[in-house]
Amino acid sequence: MSTGQLTDSPAGPAVQSPAGAAATQPPRRRRSLTARRAWSFYVFAGPWVLGFLALTAFPLGYALWLSFTNSDGLSDNPRFVGLDNYKEVFTDSETLASLARTGVFTATTVPLTIVAGLFLAVLVNQPIRARGLFRTLLYLPAVVPPVGAALTFRMIFDRDSGAANGLLDVFHVNGITWLADPYARWVLIVLTLWGVGNVMIISLAGLQDIPKELHEAARVDGASPWQSFTRITLPLLSPVIFFQVITGVIASLQTLAPLLISLDPTTKGIGSIPESNSLFMIDVLDQYLLGGRYGYASAMLWVLFLIIVTVTFVVFRLSKGAVFYSVEPEHAKTKTRTIGGA
Amino acid sequence: MVLSRRSVVYMLLVSVLVLMLSPFAWLAITAFKDASELRAVPIHWWPHHPSPGNFVEALTSWDYFGYARNSLTIAVIYSVLATLASAWAGYGFARLEAPGKRVIFGVLLSTMMLPQIFTLIPTYLLFSKLNLINTYMPWVLWGLCGAPFLIFLFRQFFTNMPKELEEAAIVDGCGQIRIFWRIFLPQSWPVIATSLILSFSWTWGDWIAPALLLDTNRTTLAVQLTTGYHNAHGGTLNNLVAAGTLVYVVPVLVLFLILQRGFVAGVSTSGLK
Repeated sequence: MSTGQLTDSPAGPAVQSPAGAAATQPPRRRRSLTARRAWSFYVFAGPWVLGFLALTAFPLGYALWLSFTNSDGLSDNPRFVGLDNYKEVFTDSETLASLARTGVFTATTVPLTIVAGLFLAVLVNQPIRARGLFRTLLYLPAVVPPVGAALTFRMIFDRDSGAANGLLDVFHVNGITWLADPYARWVLIVLTLWGVGNVMIISLAGLQDIPKELHEAARVDGASPWQSFTRITLPLLSPVIFFQVITGVIASLQTLAPLLISLDPTTKGIGSIPESNSLFMIDVLDQYLLGGRYGYASAMLWVLFLIIVTVTFVVFRLSKGAVFYSVEPEHAKTKTRTIGGA
Repeated sequence: MVLSRRSVVYMLLVSVLVLMLSPFAWLAITAFKDASELRAVPIHWWPHHPSPGNFVEALTSWDYFGYARNSLTIAVIYSVLATLASAWAGYGFARLEAPGKRVIFGVLLSTMMLPQIFTLIPTYLLFSKLNLINTYMPWVLWGLCGAPFLIFLFRQFFTNMPKELEEAAIVDGCGQIRIFWRIFLPQSWPVIATSLILSFSWTWGDWIAPALLLDTNRTTLAVQLTTGYHNAHGGTLNNLVAAGTLVYVVPVLVLFLILQRGFVAGVSTSGLK
């Protein structure tokens, strides 16, 4: 299988003419079945591989190259500046401050959404009436497109016409300019929590996979619901929670919600985002689009990329021993016995 | 004892539910207030003179349906292409063997973790060099490559289909492409539905890609909503924003309520493996 043939089959066959691609097969019919299968695999995986190379690997590599230059996107001959951009990322006080804000935002929202989502999942997993309806309605906000959610929260936290200040007024508290410093960060956190339905659904699927017998056996042995939750549910749910920590961290490191909440209709700019909501990804966009500092922004992008890789790796490492990937029947029995003894 | 526990659960659920649904309520309330009522002090919790005027103005003060059509075009292009291309790749990963498959699959799984935004800006620079800015070609290209997550969904589904299906076809002299097209793809309609729903709602909801790649006149509703409603002094007209947002969001919610399974199947599969 030469690369030439690989490049000859760009995504086309998937959409247009399976027959056209099939026509190249007959000459190979004499080959063994495995060889033909190998060849077909490349035909099927080809479009994605090409797409990955062109639209993921190449842009990342291009950004890496830019990050070692002083490119401004306009001049044709950017100068090679070595690690200068990276040095600036780690010494510039504003960049470091936004990195710290992003860390705080992530460390707040990820545990909050996971705990809240698990709590809701446990609630809608109870044998109650209309639980299907509860599940659907609690999940509903997570379906709202990000722009819709951000604009909705702008209505709620508007200084003059918003419900939040209306509520404060009921208690004779003066209105707050929510969408400015230092309160904007709270709006962002509440907005993020509104999408907790996603976490709830995933945790719920995890809960439903836990065999009912385990909890029944624990109850017969005299375990309290709380014991049953901490000793059976949590350990068996740990792979799901672990997955959510990783996807949650990634999602919050790259969130654009601060931009969407603060977009100014007239300037369309990212300049008007309150400092407390100026997270790292927003700064990256700012440097690219407003500052035109492509080199520096690319370095910031790569730093964030490496941070995500590192965090994922560390979470993987830390979770070893804390995450149970599968439970043998014997293992489960010994687990319930320990609960009975406790 | 059991009863009281159950009522606690109900109380908790109902209060959380009220909290979670209140933003929708406030959006609707704001959408029905006229400009003077919006400025009322103290605020009105309920519009005193509800009128559909805001909706008329929100939909006509600029070409709302034109932008909606742009959103729809992009979303349909992307979701159809991405679904077909993902099924195509998913079949390869599920049913075929070749040297290097494990490595490629590993790369695929790791790109599932890679946020779109990382590659978007460098890709934007690439597209601008290729003169693809302000065209819908980027979505065609993205669609043709398939999406890692959707490929994964199809792969899971195709892996579980019985081996006899393709063995019989191979004996009959069917090539892999025909096996995929005639036998496997028609069987996978639940995944096709899920994939269409997911990719459609991603694109419908996406803000940053159209904001970067398209000019104001060709952009999507999501982008135009954030910038379209303001008065001569640059002040945002909240009641119009609310009305416009409501019209933008409600179809998605209705689609979700009708096709719940597709949405949720996608989300929970992503969580389990």
